[in-house]
Amino acid sequence: MLKVTNLHASVDGKEILRGINLEVKAGEVHAIMGPNGSGKSTLASVLAGNEKFTVTEGSMEFLGEELQALSIEDRARMGLFLGFQYPVEIPGVTMANFMKLAVNEQRKFRGEEPLSAGEFLKLMREKAKIVELDSKLTARAVNEGFSGGEKKKNEIFQMAMLDPKLAILDETDSGLDIDALRIVATGVTKLHTEENATVVITHYQRLLDYIVPDFVHVLYQGRIIYTGDKSLALKLEKEGYDWLINDYKE
Amino acid sequence: MSVNDYIASLQRVERTTLRVEESVAEPQVVLNPASLAVEVAAGAKLRMVVVHDDPTTADLRFTLAEGAQVEMVELFRAEAFAEMQVEQAASSRFKLTTVELGAARAAYTINLNGAFAESEVNGVLTVGDKEHAVMHLRTNHNVADCHSSSVVRGLAGGEAVGEFRGMVYVSPDAQRTDAYQQNRNMLLSETARIDTLPQLEIYADDVKCSHGATVGQMDQEALYYMRQRGLSEAQARRVQLAGFVGDLVMQCGCEELCAALLAALEHKLERI
Repeated sequence: MLKVTNLHASVDGKEILRGINLEVKAGEVHAIMGPNGSGKSTLASVLAGNEKFTVTEGSMEFLGEELQALSIEDRARMGLFLGFQYPVEIPGVTMANFMKLAVNEQRKFRGEEPLSAGEFLKLMREKAKIVELDSKLTARAVNEGFSGGEKKKNEIFQMAMLDPKLAILDETDSGLDIDALRIVATGVTKLHTEENATVVITHYQRLLDYIVPDFVHVLYQGRIIYTGDKSLALKLEKEGYDWLINDYKE
Repeated sequence: MSVNDYIASLQRVERTTLRVEESVAEPQVVLNPASLAVEVAAGAKLRMVVVHDDPTTADLRFTLAEGAQVEMVELFRAEAFAEMQVEQAASSRFKLTTVELGAARAAYTINLNGAFAESEVNGVLTVGDKEHAVMHLRTNHNVADCHSSSVVRGLAGGEAVGEFRGMVYVSPDAQRTDAYQQNRNMLLSETARIDTLPQLEIYADDVKCSHGATVGQMDQEALYYMRQRGLSEAQARRVQLAGFVGDLVMQCGCEELCAALLAALEHKLERI
């Protein structure tokens, strides 16, 4: 589904990603861990097409297409979803209107008819349940005045609405209390199928108690320096990163 | 429904003076008034839509008796110069939604003359090309216990110029005044300009007054966020702009008219 090869990317002339190799297949869950500043969020942003970053080398193939040739919106319409670490507030735009536009744009891309108002409302009610999102929030402006937990639930709600092929969740667990973490994580688990794939970027093992990864990668200084199975996350939680990164310290 | 369809369906006021003794449910429409004096009797309620389609001057005066209510929408579709003066007796309520869809000049003076009078102004100005729009708003708290709120948003693109000047005056007797004034603006090009001058002049000591003004650009993070969900860049821009001014016009009090105003704004925004 996703094949990243020797990916280099920089921001303001500073190289952040320095040769990432990563392959994600349908049905898989990958966790990306690593110390602060190692490039985890940059990787997510570069895959999504954030224009702040420049790809200087390498390739990113998604469903057989080179992502660099595609706009942010076309990547999204192909089924690439990014759960934002810091969801953005959009004053004056209701969540319901925003989602209706997004869902129908994505349907149009796939050659499907737009949803009727009734169908859309039904879909929204159904999907809001997955993350126990208060249905009143969909009448409010996008993320405006939402609590930290609501914002993150709202990201997973949008993921449920858009049903992506590949979801990249950038620290979706940060800033959540224990209950919200459980709701968000079980939401993601419910949405996982054999046809889609999930990449979770996280600092904490506790998220991975719910979302069991097939692979755990450690990103350090812009490279994946180690890949293991779910037990790696537990070992990192206990022992930290030092045993891994000592050899790489500059 | 367009604004034109909406106003065509309503009763037109052709006179230059109007006295409202009893509440009228239907909104009254006034087109291109040169001068209009409206008196609303105690406890009566009036809804009115004023549309400027000619580049003329307009002189409007509203007098609200005790407990009277006026809910008003003013729309500028031509470069009119309009002045409005509002005199409010005790417990009266005046609500204005004003939209400048291009070059225009509007100056409002609201006098809160009786206790517990309330005024609320929601204003939008949108200019492109070389248009120049001006909105001046002066609210005088002349007595104690009144409440005023003014929220104005400006959008300017091209080489356009927008100007907001707001003044909340609180007289020495006007204790327990509650006044709020906010002006937010967005520039859509490097050559557009918006001048904002929010002012407070307070001579009483037991008041709650706040004001603020900002001039910013389009939120690139929000555009990125919307595009990541599948909206095109143009769509994301439109959504953001409509959101910026939309929630103000959506409070205009009449759902059909709000929607028509928003559609007119969106039409304008496509051209900025």
